[in-house]
Amino acid sequence: MLMLFSKWLSHTPISDFIQNVLWIIPLVQTIHILAIAIVMSSVGMIVLRILGLAGLRHTFSEIALRYVPWIWGALVVLLFSGAILVTGEPVRSLTNPTFQLKMILLFIAVCITAAFQITVHRDHRFWDLAPRHATAAKTFAVLTFGLWVAIAVAGRWIAYTVLSYV
Amino acid sequence: MIDLILNWLHDLPLSSAIRVSAWMFPTIESAHVIAIATVIGSIAIVDLRLLGVTSHRKPVTELSTEVLPWTWGFFMVAVITGGLMFMSKAPAYFGNTPFRLKMILLACAGLNMIAFHLLIYRSVHRWDRDVPTLRSAKIAGLLSLTFWIGVVAAGRWIGFTIEG
Repeated sequence: MLMLFSKWLSHTPISDFIQNVLWIIPLVQTIHILAIAIVMSSVGMIVLRILGLAGLRHTFSEIALRYVPWIWGALVVLLFSGAILVTGEPVRSLTNPTFQLKMILLFIAVCITAAFQITVHRDHRFWDLAPRHATAAKTFAVLTFGLWVAIAVAGRWIAYTVLSYV
Repeated sequence: MIDLILNWLHDLPLSSAIRVSAWMFPTIESAHVIAIATVIGSIAIVDLRLLGVTSHRKPVTELSTEVLPWTWGFFMVAVITGGLMFMSKAPAYFGNTPFRLKMILLACAGLNMIAFHLLIYRSVHRWDRDVPTLRSAKIAGLLSLTFWIGVVAAGRWIGFTIEG
């Protein structure tokens, strides 16, 4: 089913165009990486604040409100640039187990980001007033950063785990 | 002379291990991409403050001292992983035009940073809280963003042009 769709997509004119114009894929990958840079550094700043390593002169919600919108904005860019890359090479990506793993990890990371934003919006002082949960919050922060790292690693591995084109 | 060094690097046991292994190169490359992404993202946070786009309530010095040590740490990871990838095919990388362009852009980013610190950042106490900052600081921020975006673009282009 997925294979049929991938093959159909790879024969559409738009896919053909992306495949055959030499500079499109590297350009779109560059935009994709720059958006990843925004996500990694924004998540990183929030994580550093939770760990108590940066931004301590600001309340937690200030830091969250400063960086979370950048994560969402970059995710939109990632979605569009990623969609172009998939359209250009549908069989290479959609049926690729590494790509599928990446999408599952991404879904989890997006849920975590949304849940995090909701807690900040619902109660501005939730994270500031939660020293009791400090250890849990720190562990959670490190794991979340690790999740984004895993998504980026999976993304790079897509190119090396392409199933044979039969 | 340079050929001797390149071939020597290429023939090191570690280099051939990276070439032969199915997983080493992609793993090193993944670490390289993540390190560069973090370097550029964190530099961009400071650059955008210099440009007056974001972080208005934070003094430039505070943001720099919080962010830039992490930038340096990840930059070291990018240098080491980049060095390992270079070793594995040293002569091919050395002759690759996008690779050379990337090194030039990296040098430009470095020179811009040095100039910023020696000439502009010295007087930071006078404009630490200004939004936007001095015209010269804004130019340094804009140049920094431009060079680093160029580094990513040239770096990605290497993968499409490298031989062997």
